[in-house]
Amino acid sequence: MGKVKIKRKSTLIDMTAMSDVTVLLLTFFMLTSTFLQKEPVTVLTPSSVSEIKVPTANLITVLVAPEGNVFISLAGDKDSTYSSENMRAELLKNVVAEYNRLHPNNAINLTNSEVATFSKTNMFGVKLSELKGWLDLPQEKRDEYLDPSKNPNAGIPIDMNQDLSKPNEFQIWMRAIYNSNNANIISTIKRGNGIAIKADKSTTYSKIQVVMDNLQTMKMNKFSLMTALKSEDE
Amino acid sequence: MAQIDTGGDNGKGKSHQKKMSIHVDFTPMVDMNMLLITFFMLCTTMIKSQTLQISLPTNEKVEKQEQNKVKQSEAITVILDSELDDNGTPVKNFVYYYEGMPNMAVENGRLAENKMQEIEFMPNDVNGAPQGIRKIFQERNEQVVKKINELKTKWKNNEFDKNDERNDSIYQKLAKEVRNDSTLKRPVVIIKATPNASYESLVTALDEMQINSISRYQIDRISHTDSIMMMELKGVSYGLDDLTAKK
Repeated sequence: MGKVKIKRKSTLIDMTAMSDVTVLLLTFFMLTSTFLQKEPVTVLTPSSVSEIKVPTANLITVLVAPEGNVFISLAGDKDSTYSSENMRAELLKNVVAEYNRLHPNNAINLTNSEVATFSKTNMFGVKLSELKGWLDLPQEKRDEYLDPSKNPNAGIPIDMNQDLSKPNEFQIWMRAIYNSNNANIISTIKRGNGIAIKADKSTTYSKIQVVMDNLQTMKMNKFSLMTALKSEDE
Repeated sequence: MAQIDTGGDNGKGKSHQKKMSIHVDFTPMVDMNMLLITFFMLCTTMIKSQTLQISLPTNEKVEKQEQNKVKQSEAITVILDSELDDNGTPVKNFVYYYEGMPNMAVENGRLAENKMQEIEFMPNDVNGAPQGIRKIFQERNEQVVKKINELKTKWKNNEFDKNDERNDSIYQKLAKEVRNDSTLKRPVVIIKATPNASYESLVTALDEMQINSISRYQIDRISHTDSIMMMELKGVSYGLDDLTAKK
């Protein structure tokens, strides 16, 4: 009786092909991706049949949280003079100047490092009186501060105000963006694709209406609503 | 782990050419790539959001004469409302509509006739026929919808131009002309949302305008008569004072 010989096979698998595939996939993801921008609240936008894409440059996104807190994010021009960061720094200066004009008693003075921090922030929504303190916080604390579930007072103060001589803070911000020297953002706002309202499906209309009403008051009455795509039969 | 077989070095003399098998183990490389792929997949958005463009009138006071009144026969009023749960989140959406002007005649303390009806946003049925409020819109906007559909079939068959892009732009231009053609019978839709209405139903309503090629629509505030008609429809009791209070 001869012993059954168990063939010893090497368990090495050639991984070259696998590696090729993964590198290809990696290249694909790296080229097609745009990074998720950090937002204080994650919202699920309603769907529509509209196929107009959101522009990537010269766009103001007004995020309305389901609780009603309002945040603004500003994307600048492709041109480096009006890049997002430069635009934000300029915007902050204009807003602070306007706020100090309206409230000479509690004027804000920002340091250069605070302006630099702001220009790196994608989405913001703080009371102007608390802005300086917010910019001095470390990154995590700043994010926490914007989260409506942790801080119900997060967001830019907004109310139904039709008197532009006494603007609310949302109007100060929006007007300052409009008055920046970037001609491209003005033209996109006029065309109606410069301002996008982003809100969750289940947000009540009363909260959206406040934002719409403010935009109407500022004569920015052409804007877009962010939606997800669905087919016409749905 | 990398296995570069040096072929054994037995010291047989320098003249012997070393035979090397160049098998490199790629497993760690694959591991690393997989990690990177996972990272990119988690951190990226593939789908770009779409936008729905709307334009609203300014808030400036408009002179009474300049306001163009909507012709009664052309008007359809759509009212959006939602039921809220304890946290104030909409759980169920309601849609009501009425055609023309509301009839506010009172009889025995109730409305003599309530033109308001409940309806739903519904997708097309299996045969592609419109249902719910879409059916109403398509009936009222029949002439435009018919012409648009004719254009659409032509567009699908590339009849305007062999070139896809030019075909597209010609179609868009013609479709816009049809939608704004004042010789056709076109409805005017007034969308009114209660403060409780969900954002989703507002977008769905605006979406229906696009689907049904309705070019004339507006978003308006809910009026006192509308809320009375809603109460009547829901069977909520209201006082006679409500009827006469604001008119």
